[in-house]
Amino acid sequence: MSETTFMGVERDKIDWKPTIDYTKCDYCMECVKFCPHKVFELRETEEIKLIIRNANNCVVFCRACSKICGPDALSFPDKNTTTQRIKDIRKEESHG
Amino acid sequence: MVENYAILPCNGLDKCAGVISREIAIKLCANASNKIICPVHSRIAEAKYNKIVNEHALLVIDGCQTRCASKLAAEKNLKISRKITVTEEAKNHHIELKNDLNLLENENNLIEIILNGLNNAENKAATVSDELQYSYKFTYTTFQNGKFIFRVPSNPEIYFNENDCWAWVIGNRARIGVTDFVQQNLSDILYFTPPEIDAEVDQFGEAGEIESSKSVFELISPVSGKVIAINDTLVTKPDFINENPYELGWVAEIELTDFKSDKELLIGFDQYFEIMKKKVEELNG
Repeated sequence: MSETTFMGVERDKIDWKPTIDYTKCDYCMECVKFCPHKVFELRETEEIKLIIRNANNCVVFCRACSKICGPDALSFPDKNTTTQRIKDIRKEESHG
Repeated sequence: MVENYAILPCNGLDKCAGVISREIAIKLCANASNKIICPVHSRIAEAKYNKIVNEHALLVIDGCQTRCASKLAAEKNLKISRKITVTEEAKNHHIELKNDLNLLENENNLIEIILNGLNNAENKAATVSDELQYSYKFTYTTFQNGKFIFRVPSNPEIYFNENDCWAWVIGNRARIGVTDFVQQNLSDILYFTPPEIDAEVDQFGEAGEIESSKSVFELISPVSGKVIAINDTLVTKPDFINENPYELGWVAEIELTDFKSDKELLIGFDQYFEIMKKKVEELNG
């Protein structure tokens, strides 16, 4: 599923996606199985077997994949910064 | 005190968090009314534990977010009454767990903190209840997709975020919960973790967690403020969220701190209903 806007703001303008800590990731692929939005991509034949493929599919403020990550290898941006950024963009656009 | 529980620890002996969960289970069983369920033995001799699980509430101790113990409970159709995750507790208390399997000062401190937390929550649980008895009529509009029916309340006092959570605002308070979209997607909800009473919650911050055998959903609070009540009935009856996530299945009450600002990023029934319909259609291809 791809969302084009979130709270009226173009999804592209919102920095919200998981970051993979490859020093912790054990490639258990629970996140790939878990995320219904296909944010992650499994690359079995590559050295780095897991990447963020569809960042804009990631539901803004959802951190559920980090909740099910056994080795705690997934992190997200600061929520308050993202919230403020969305408010600022909405303000800019309503004035623009 | 934690009493009369069947305790199912993760027992992952190749990880520090697993060793800690085992240790907590053993310490809790110093109270003879608590009984341990060995996750390894229960796989091959389930019947041995039938009596214990029938006569006790179940406390699950997961070591990490892989949640092996929770998954085992779901697989065996065991109803979870309480649950903790060691790595989450470590994070909440700023304790860094090493890869060492020996329990040193840090680990023993964490064990003490978790045991105290379990015992205190147990004492407090009886005193937390919904003091506000709202007499309010929800007006629903429904949308059907296949055999699934999605209700959304259209009352003007109810706001939504795009993360499928609602807030019913009355004065400086709001009751919050998840929408039908969440409960239909999760299917049978097996476990509810409430937010802490008195905790400060940001808008879009976590305010509890619900879990089914399919998935975990973090309730993303539509409003900011202080948690003043939780629906503690959901701890024993999380399926109330499936029954009606707006009335019986409400999650918490928040004393609002800045609703004027929160409102900027909330939507009303008309907008949410359209967004939800689109999500349902997209998910079902």
